[in-house]
Amino acid sequence: MGQSIDSMLQNKAQHAKAISMEKEIEHKAIADWLTNVAQKRDKRAFTELFRFFAPKIQRIATSKYGNESLAAEVVQETMTNVWRKAHLFDASKGAPTTWVYTVMRNVSFDLLRKIKSKKEDNLSDDFWPLVESVEEDVKVFEDHLASKEMMACIDKLPDPQKSVVKGFYFMEMSQEQLAEHLDVPLGTIKSRLRLALARLKQHMGEIHD
Amino acid sequence: MIKHHPNSELLEKFADGELPASIAAGIAIHVEMCPVCKVAVAELTEQRSAIHFESSDLEMPMSELNIASMVEEITLSDEIDIAIADKEKSISVKGEEYILPRALTNMAMSKWSSIGHLARARFSIDEEPLRASLLQIQAGGSVPEHTHKGFELTVLVDGHFEDELGIYGPGDFILLDAEHTHSPVTKDGCLCYTVANDAQHFTQGINKLLNPIGSFIY
Ligand SMILES: [Zn+2]
Repeated sequence: MGQSIDSMLQNKAQHAKAISMEKEIEHKAIADWLTNVAQKRDKRAFTELFRFFAPKIQRIATSKYGNESLAAEVVQETMTNVWRKAHLFDASKGAPTTWVYTVMRNVSFDLLRKIKSKKEDNLSDDFWPLVESVEEDVKVFEDHLASKEMMACIDKLPDPQKSVVKGFYFMEMSQEQLAEHLDVPLGTIKSRLRLALARLKQHMGEIHD
Repeated sequence: MIKHHPNSELLEKFADGELPASIAAGIAIHVEMCPVCKVAVAELTEQRSAIHFESSDLEMPMSELNIASMVEEITLSDEIDIAIADKEKSISVKGEEYILPRALTNMAMSKWSSIGHLARARFSIDEEPLRASLLQIQAGGSVPEHTHKGFELTVLVDGHFEDELGIYGPGDFILLDAEHTHSPVTKDGCLCYTVANDAQHFTQGINKLLNPIGSFIY
């Protein structure tokens, strides 16, 4: 007779684990290609990206718009932006597949608006910024820094976040200086700062509510 | 603290890029100010990309020749796009200074016109019958009681107002349909981004005479 339920579940769990391992390896490869395109203008890496994404984009756009030549335009525009904007990809912010998806969504939005409303105002990058500015959050917090509540909140942050926030706000170090000083990549500094600000925002919300 | 958010259906459509520009702009203004919805949109986007990009069954095959020629064409130019992250744009209306939400920085706007405590500028988004505007209600001003024949979206950019349903502050996202009547009042003045698909209808006494004001404001 067949397997017991337990061993079936175990197999299933192993299978799921194998899939997520695969995804991780895949993400790592895509992220490396993007980095090579950004830093070395590496055509071979770009060809790999093209092979991976273009047939998928062609299919998504064809099923969405029911029009193959429009879909081909989405492929062309998306991949052109991947080539020109690869330096904006930041692995600390999310999966490389999500980043390319965002590029595709923005391209499609502007293209459709051009067709439907005859408008070439390219609004997508304002609605869905590819570059998230930590700076925006930073400004908001400068107003609250002096408050006692805020200091108490900062002290409750996990140590790595605390040192970034304190360095940034109170010692007025730049993110680059902090990266060097703490000996971690710039992307890590950015994501620590972002997480810390998100937490502080939550705390402040609770206090003011 | 922001209390009024877009519902999950709107957030999903926003993440998919499927809303008209005028409505998408309203949600983008909210998302820029609301950490909760910002995270929600990020998660939705991640889910979508996982569905579409992480299965090789969902592909339309392309010929090697096609791939090679497209890659060749794209990589011909070595230029990159420098992103300008923080190009802030500020506006001045009746002596008040505002920093525009990022979503509105490149939307073409008409000149301001005003009646009483109200000033309005229209965006030329070309999405008839949708109309998008910035509406300033100066301190102590109000909008006469009105119902909506279609829908009316208001996103508060700056300041506060209150109506029969509550008090609203910066970032609040308020979507009203034909069932609602309201008359917003502001103590300190406010600036709102609004989208409507039909002229508003004023319901009371002398305000009926003001009905043309409906199409002025919204
Ligand atoms: Zn929200």
